[in-house]
Amino acid sequence: MFGVRRMRPSVNRPPTPDVQENQEKEPTLQETINIKLIESGEKERLMELLRERLVECGWKDEMKAICRAFIKKKGRNNVTVDDLVHVITPKGRASVPDSIKAELLQRIRKFLVSAAL
Amino acid sequence: MASQLSSHFFGDLLDSIIVDVASECHRIARLGLDRNLEDEEEELRLSAQARSHPSVASEVFECMNCGRSIVAGRFAPHLEKCMGKGRKARSKVTRSSTAAQNRYSRGSPVSTYSPYSNSTTSNRLSNGTSGVAGEEYLNGTFQEP
Repeated sequence: MFGVRRMRPSVNRPPTPDVQENQEKEPTLQETINIKLIESGEKERLMELLRERLVECGWKDEMKAICRAFIKKKGRNNVTVDDLVHVITPKGRASVPDSIKAELLQRIRKFLVSAAL
Repeated sequence: MASQLSSHFFGDLLDSIIVDVASECHRIARLGLDRNLEDEEEELRLSAQARSHPSVASEVFECMNCGRSIVAGRFAPHLEKCMGKGRKARSKVTRSSTAAQNRYSRGSPVSTYSPYSNSTTSNRLSNGTSGVAGEEYLNGTFQEP
């Protein structure tokens, strides 16, 4: 006779989260900082700064060119915003000049430091 | 931990801006505000027409406005568009969007590239060169042709 081993359940399901647990969950650090960023107005300022830099360096024009090429191919009435987002996101994320990224990261870090106090 | 956090927020900002750009391009496309696109669609239709209606006046004249050679049968519609480009009166919507774009591009130090150029080549779309520092950038100065 074979030793009886505990049978594995036929369905692999993660344990159902305890409803009580969810209600008591603390906001994550990320969420807390995000709220501070928004409430202080810094998120808006950072966004405008990044926007301005990306226009100056021609990044926006590049993205628009990519969009136009895609639109020309697909036909202007067959394109969704979602299509365009997916089309430009990889290149968009990869082609931000290092100097601009550094500038923004520094400002964000400065905010994180001040927000932690 | 701090650098991970800042990268996260940077990505957040960038993603939002990407959505904005996509949204803007989508709007311009759907509203037919991209004159270049319209012209190219027109040219496509014209070549189809020319093939099926050889009876249309076949003499060629030079447009006194842009200097291009235009088939007589297409002269009037061409003048409509060609002369209309000298004015911004086409549509109020166009004016507001390009005015905003002009504001952005004016301070740019990079070489100019006009997306609304009247070149007769069909390939008016720019090639997507990388925007990394050191390489050539595309500058959208929306000059009125």
